[in-house]
Amino acid sequence: MERGTDSATKYVNVKSLVDSETSVVPKTSSKAKNRMRKWKLFGEGMIYLFPAFLILGIFLFYPMIKTLYYSLFITNPRGETVVFVGLENFLTLMQSASFQNSMIQTFKFVLYTVPTGVFLALFLALIANEKVRGIEFFRVIFSSTLGVSVAAGASIWLFMFHPSLGVLNNLLQVFGLDSIGWLTSGEWALISVSITTVWMGIGFNFIIFLGGLQNISQELYESALIDGAGYFARLFKITIPLLSPTLFFVVTVTLINSFQSFGQIHILTGGGPNEATNLIVYSIYKEAFEFSRFGTASAQAIILFLFILLVTIIQFKVGEKKVHYQ
Amino acid sequence: MKIVMKRTVLFMVGMVLLMVLVACGNSSSAVQKTEDGRIIVDFWYALGGNLGEAVEGMVNDFNESQSDIQVNAVYQGSYEESLTQLRQLAGTDDAPAVVQVFEVGTKYMIESGYIEPVQTFINEDNFDLSLLEENILSYYQVDGQLYSMPFNTSNAIMVYNKDMFREVGLDPENPPATFSEVRDAAKKISDYYGSSVDGFSVITNGWFTEQMIANQGGLYVDNDNGRSGEPTQALINGEEGQRWFQWLYDMKSDSSLGDYGRAWDDHRAAFLGETVAMYLDSTASLAGTVTNAEFEVGTAFLPTADGMDPQGVIVGGASIWMMTDIPKEVQEAAWEFMKFTSKPEVQAKWAASTGYFPITKEAYEHEVLINTYEEYPQFLTAVEQLQNTTLTAATQGALIGVFPEARERVVNAVESLYGGTDPIEAINRANEEINTELENYRRANQ
Repeated sequence: MERGTDSATKYVNVKSLVDSETSVVPKTSSKAKNRMRKWKLFGEGMIYLFPAFLILGIFLFYPMIKTLYYSLFITNPRGETVVFVGLENFLTLMQSASFQNSMIQTFKFVLYTVPTGVFLALFLALIANEKVRGIEFFRVIFSSTLGVSVAAGASIWLFMFHPSLGVLNNLLQVFGLDSIGWLTSGEWALISVSITTVWMGIGFNFIIFLGGLQNISQELYESALIDGAGYFARLFKITIPLLSPTLFFVVTVTLINSFQSFGQIHILTGGGPNEATNLIVYSIYKEAFEFSRFGTASAQAIILFLFILLVTIIQFKVGEKKVHYQ
Repeated sequence: MKIVMKRTVLFMVGMVLLMVLVACGNSSSAVQKTEDGRIIVDFWYALGGNLGEAVEGMVNDFNESQSDIQVNAVYQGSYEESLTQLRQLAGTDDAPAVVQVFEVGTKYMIESGYIEPVQTFINEDNFDLSLLEENILSYYQVDGQLYSMPFNTSNAIMVYNKDMFREVGLDPENPPATFSEVRDAAKKISDYYGSSVDGFSVITNGWFTEQMIANQGGLYVDNDNGRSGEPTQALINGEEGQRWFQWLYDMKSDSSLGDYGRAWDDHRAAFLGETVAMYLDSTASLAGTVTNAEFEVGTAFLPTADGMDPQGVIVGGASIWMMTDIPKEVQEAAWEFMKFTSKPEVQAKWAASTGYFPITKEAYEHEVLINTYEEYPQFLTAVEQLQNTTLTAATQGALIGVFPEARERVVNAVESLYGGTDPIEAINRANEEINTELENYRRANQ
């Protein structure tokens, strides 16, 4: 990264040098000429940036502006804007019980999945980092969910959660317990989706944690051992602080993934029962692509965007201070 | 230096123009043909499992019956998924020529601007509509026009496990017919088997609410179910809808109502796995259920509210639509396929292998169907139920532009009822939400 910018500035310097040498500058208009050259340089820079701006513009800024535009309209089933309603879509959303429910469920979902997902993966990484014979086998097992796509993973769980044929309910019956409506009861559906999400995320988190752990220098542990530090002292005084950049990265990524969960919900519950798993991204999808209401869907997307922005800012302001970079 | 820069700028401008051209230049569509010169007609359908196999079979029969047209049948997931897909692709080259859309999407499709009414071809071709079943036509005709060709039609019936009835001491040949009889029977079954068997279940789909309200003679929306004018008010929370919700709630309180969710197949699996004794299903999959069951399967009319005469059922299922943005030649080829699907012998085979009704009256005289009905008398329940139906605005079914959305609201209400919400409160809320949907639809289509 650094090397790249270095050579770029060098290049620009050389060019301006060449330019000033070749052009004969009358002294009277040197100021104007100078300004000209600055603009020329700026224009040239813009040309180099143009491809990047073009791609960002088409795929990022244009859709964002369009979303904002749509959020101020009612659309017809073909997705054309029909009536300008100003902020009405936002106001209706704020009063809508269904949207409030989506927000609450999203919060709960994040709360269920992020801490569990991170701690489970951290725990597995810690035990898989021990030097034991055959540990490679466990490392493969623990990271295996990384190779499972969302659709395949959710389908596996769909079969396990099946109301009458699923292995979970059959197990419960073996123990003489009542079967549970894993995906059909309002109390369980969100938990079931969370279990699936945590399971799917563990492989990735595990690998990142394991990589972080192996980067910690052994000498620190050795000198700690000589000083007579116990396992937990080493864990909390050496491992966790030195792992904090990785931890911060994993938490951020898991948090954003969790806010954006879609595939597993689509396959497992379709947002039901009674909107218990109708998380915000799924609700946007339904509004836009099932009900063709691009107006309210865009308004929801804007609210979600502001929300994630806020969370990310807070995280960087508060969270990053606790991160220890070597 | 300057020349180089000019070239770069020219190149960039050229690239942008190229991208714009590529993005806009896709609108022309030509007739696509197979190697041996057959016109290709893409056909989207939305039936899975053995129903999907029956669709593929019908399409193969058509392709083999002539040598000018090749219909490519593509499965697009459930009705809802397929309609969602269509909404994204309509008007592009990837859109199909013929698409199967569920009955409640009728008004949406008519007003979408995606479609060519089949009435155009019926008039051009002097196609005799009187060959088709009146009940079915009455559902799909709007202001005397037929916009789509009826394809698969079914209605809702109650399916029950005769062996379990015997075991518990209920009369297997005389199934319960009213709300309270079903409730008593369900309780008896659940009490006998304990928690491992549910007496009764209903697939969590808005279709059954529509059927149950119509069967009591109730309307879904005002203006004669939206058939004499744009609907303005939902009417599902009338006494008909309240009775139906109350009944479900009562059975839930008895712990004799199983909740197997929104997936049709999950209820069927529970029934086949003998964890549910009675359930409401579409006749569509009856062939599969009867042949796969390891016990004797009985079928009965939809239960009616106590002391009421059943009014009959709404025709359910789907019809096939022709898209308008395709070349005339392809449309004509698609029309040939549509005519083929309504032929008596095709309909007879279709009905015998699925459980749907034939849409053509003459199909009942074909041997394959007569034999099936003899072998599986369970199929006759649905036919009789349809023929016993009094044709009114209620049983004609509602026409609503936001019907798929309304169904979602009703499904949520049923699920909240299962979660313990008061039934009247639940149905009132759904009614309110549908009113908002109707209001939004009017605003978007003014």
